[in-house]
Amino acid sequence: MLETTSVGSFPKPDYLIKARNQFAKGELSPEKLKELELQAIKEVIQMQEEVGIDILVHGEMERGDMTTYFAENWEGFAISSLVRSYGNRYYRKPVVVNPVKRPKPVTVEYYKYAQSLTKKPVKGMMTGPYTMCDWSFNEYYPNREALTLAFAEVIHQEAVDLEKAGARYIQIDEPAISTRPDELDLAIRAMKIVTNGLKAKTISHICYGDFSTIYPRILDLPVDILDLEFANSNFSNLDIFKKPKFTKMISIGVVDVHTHTIEDKETVKQNLKKALQVFDPEKVLVDPDCGLKTRTPEEAKAKLKVIVEAVKEVKQEFGLK
Amino acid sequence: MLKTTVVGNYPKISSDKNASNLRNALNLKDQRKISPEKLEETFQATIKRVIQEQEDVGVDIITDGQIRWDDLVTPIAKNLNGVEIGGLTRFFDNNVYYRRPIVKSKVSFKNYSTVDQFEFAQAHATKPVKAVLPGPFTLAKLSLDQHYNSIDKLTLDLAEILNQEAKELEKAGAKFIQLDEPSLCYNPEKIELAMKAVEKAFDKINCKKILYFYFGSVKSLFPRILDTSIDVIGVDVVSKPENLNVIFNNDFKQELILGVLDARNTKIESEEELFGLFDKVTNKIRPEKIYISPSCGLEFLPHESAVKKLKGMVEAVKNFQREFLFE
Repeated sequence: MLETTSVGSFPKPDYLIKARNQFAKGELSPEKLKELELQAIKEVIQMQEEVGIDILVHGEMERGDMTTYFAENWEGFAISSLVRSYGNRYYRKPVVVNPVKRPKPVTVEYYKYAQSLTKKPVKGMMTGPYTMCDWSFNEYYPNREALTLAFAEVIHQEAVDLEKAGARYIQIDEPAISTRPDELDLAIRAMKIVTNGLKAKTISHICYGDFSTIYPRILDLPVDILDLEFANSNFSNLDIFKKPKFTKMISIGVVDVHTHTIEDKETVKQNLKKALQVFDPEKVLVDPDCGLKTRTPEEAKAKLKVIVEAVKEVKQEFGLK
Repeated sequence: MLKTTVVGNYPKISSDKNASNLRNALNLKDQRKISPEKLEETFQATIKRVIQEQEDVGVDIITDGQIRWDDLVTPIAKNLNGVEIGGLTRFFDNNVYYRRPIVKSKVSFKNYSTVDQFEFAQAHATKPVKAVLPGPFTLAKLSLDQHYNSIDKLTLDLAEILNQEAKELEKAGAKFIQLDEPSLCYNPEKIELAMKAVEKAFDKINCKKILYFYFGSVKSLFPRILDTSIDVIGVDVVSKPENLNVIFNNDFKQELILGVLDARNTKIESEEELFGLFDKVTNKIRPEKIYISPSCGLEFLPHESAVKKLKGMVEAVKNFQREFLFE
């Protein structure tokens, strides 16, 4: 009840950014880079423990980007050059040029390492099939449907491996899902393939879209928990979920990840309380709007701290444990 | 004879290591490690390169690549009274985000937004530079209205401001002014408002007036949009292939920009594919009334793909003319 968590990514420490640059230029060995990635994971696990987060993430220290990372580790891709997503932010958009295959597990080792450092649950983290399709160039498959379903198969394999490795929470992010309401059925079909037979609690994070266009149909997405952003729009999107009633568990984003300012506790509390009038407190988790990787490490920590403090006080006021 | 053009934006950074690197310069600006002069130099070098590249490829009517623009709406919105710039919002169905303008009070003109940019670009180009602005309806629709509680009133007020901008662009020498109205594809019921606003934005403009639609369907906009003083109508026929039928089923008195090259996927169109399209269109509309272009701005593509696509487009047009139109 009102467990705190994070969406996924954390800012990379300076030494890791430097190491990744050196690695890209061939000046650093893959072993050395990995050592530093594991160090950064350890620090981020410690930080979340210290702040008092309930369900942890490993911070995606080994990933440059949530689609490119998988493209680099699966078969079938050429990596493209940079494209801009907003402001001065660029990413390497994958190009599918051959059938998509998974030669070996990609996320399991990092998950296992992170989980070995804490008694609290760590989430297994993946990017969903619809988003992988939407955020890739497609030069091979005949259409978006074929590409999305091909991704669903390999992501399912990875999810099964994560579960075998002990993951109690598996998150399959679909930030692109609100992009084309007319393709929601495809996204749901693909997710059905991904989560088929899993016993772990499954979560999907969705952001940057008009939820009104996909609600209530999004409740058919075959996952246990939907993770949505609210702070970014100052909770104005809360009304959408009043009718019909939200039937799943929900993870509520209560701090904006694109501002340097740290939200004050009272605002977070007020917003959370507003949300608890719409959602059943028993089915609510609390987190930032999105991955924190674009913040500084200090800002990321401060934002999590505000969440934990606000949740603690709200729980007390509501007499919740 | 067929002509070629582009829709608007163009990749800001090149994979060529020797090219001006605007991304680095803007990163340095965030860290306050670059002088305003040096940053301006990088902007100018980038714009000149982008113009040069389009001219080298042989595009007939070019743009400045909207190199100083983060997105379609904030360059205008930040120069308006009554508007603040808000949070990131998805730009239609793309993995691209814009900062949403928030309308706090009545909007009014504060500064020209694009006139200096146009003058700089035209001064460094031999081909005509097309000035591109967001259409009034799209500008209104992509904003968060906290004042008017009326899309109609906001759109018409914005149209008046855009008209002031357009007039100044014309005074500065613009031969082509384009308004982008993607939002209208998704809200065709607002066509009367949008067209009234577009006419207002183009009031007393004598250069070529272009209205461009990308991403969505134009089915419900025809034939109404033909009944205007617009000179050129541009349509993305890639995102919605059925848009091509809409064009075939209507009688054009206007000129047409046919957005045939997928500016959102790296897969290169074959010449046969393009010839097929050119053939169909030139059978219906006189070639001299047609401009061939990418489906939308090229910034969704990595730089080398954008250049490759543009080259392929211009070559296909040339070859088609030689082989089929005997020009």
